[in-house]
Amino acid sequence: MSTVLRAEGVVKTYGRDLRAVAGVSLSVAPGEFVAVLGPSGAGKTTLFRCLTGLTRPDAGAVLLHGRDLCRLERGELRRARREIALIFQQFNLIRRLTAQQNVLAGRMATVATWRVLARHFPAADRTLALRCLERVGMLERAEARADQLSGGQQQRVAIARALAQEAAVILADEPVASLDPESAATVLDTLRSVAAAGVAVIASLHQVHLARAYADRVVALRDGRVLHDVPVAELDTRALEQIYGRSGDAA
Amino acid sequence: MRRTPAARLRFAAIVLLVATFYAASWQLAQVSPSKLWTGLPKMASWARKAWPPATDELPVLLRRAAETVAMAAIGTTAAALLALPVCALAARNVTPSLAVYYPVRWFLNALRGIDSFVFALLFVAAVGLGPFAGVLGVALHTWGSTAKLWAEAIENVPPGPLEAAAATGASRVKVLGFALLPDVAPSMVSVVLFWWEFNVRASTVLGVVGAGGIGQELKNSMDLLDFPRLLTIILIILAMVTVIDHLSQALRGRLE
Repeated sequence: MSTVLRAEGVVKTYGRDLRAVAGVSLSVAPGEFVAVLGPSGAGKTTLFRCLTGLTRPDAGAVLLHGRDLCRLERGELRRARREIALIFQQFNLIRRLTAQQNVLAGRMATVATWRVLARHFPAADRTLALRCLERVGMLERAEARADQLSGGQQQRVAIARALAQEAAVILADEPVASLDPESAATVLDTLRSVAAAGVAVIASLHQVHLARAYADRVVALRDGRVLHDVPVAELDTRALEQIYGRSGDAA
Repeated sequence: MRRTPAARLRFAAIVLLVATFYAASWQLAQVSPSKLWTGLPKMASWARKAWPPATDELPVLLRRAAETVAMAAIGTTAAALLALPVCALAARNVTPSLAVYYPVRWFLNALRGIDSFVFALLFVAAVGLGPFAGVLGVALHTWGSTAKLWAEAIENVPPGPLEAAAATGASRVKVLGFALLPDVAPSMVSVVLFWWEFNVRASTVLGVVGAGGIGQELKNSMDLLDFPRLLTIILIILAMVTVIDHLSQALRGRLE
């Protein structure tokens, strides 16, 4: 299977000897939904920052289509990041803009500066934005201001923004941690369908049953290392105990 | 609860310090209630002479009042345009580097520290008498004040949406223009309206240093002890300031 994004032996240390990520390797293919599991402090957030090029690892490589992000210059890195779309726990929409305008933010990098500043995007981009909203089931709310939408709706708009970016990879850091169970299910359904359409999705989750229900593969982190990297079917009780420790402190 | 001796001593010291400060200030400010008392009849006789207010020069005075509003409007607008590129440099969360942030902050503080009255005084010497000197004075002082308040508005914006916009690979200018501006625009407009309103009030006195507007007529009338005309001018200023205050407040109220 071909790989879009691959981490090879990524190490990131903070301060003296706080090893947030201690040699992690993982990869994701087009159409694949990978869930990253692990207790808080396992290094998930640091790993995600390395995967996006926001943080430069101390050692190892992050390869996007085979090119090492860590070796790119600023301009090149910015261009490369168009290929990686981010989904955040707090959605991070621009609250005073409409859903459609927020989706158009995904087109900013490719559109002329004056058009972005005038909020006057080309017709093709506006149509694309509407189509992306349709794919996440938010077309009817295209004209609604972001701060009038529920959390789950905002997260679906954020996914539409990632789609408009036409990214090859979607990295979602705790995308449903702030949502009620019903909204969480809708958001993960949406991510699932986006993956089915050929995008590589990596999402960190802290609920095992969600990983079981939606992911193709589970990468379990503990103390900054990969404990398991298995198809979701092979994730048994013993493996879970190893991830979260013996005494059922699993979230 | 009893106070400890140390706390009592400190309290006494503070009382003494404050008392000394006011005593010294009273001396330095040359406060003299007796002078006010002997001056009062003089003011009362002026007030009697002032009635009825003079109306023969009303068109000229209204034109001068319009000049004051115009000075404030042009000066404030120029200040806003100058502040736009600078405010992002002076906001800690979006400035490209602290090596830019600190000098810009110092510069803005210097502009803010010098009153438009003082600037106008300098510009009257440079560009001559008239409202243009007032415009320049208002613009420079307001530039510093507006940019600082805008920078503070920017610093209060949540970082998430900016991070998300930057993550799409868009340039800094695009991120600030598209993701930041909509968030801060209402408070930015509110700040400008506030300064316009403030500058109309401040500009009424700019004429005293020869920088045009209704203040110049005020000074002329005072110099000539022409009290009916003086009263007319004061009434015009009151009406003008009241109207502008209400207009500005109504406009600010309409911003969400």
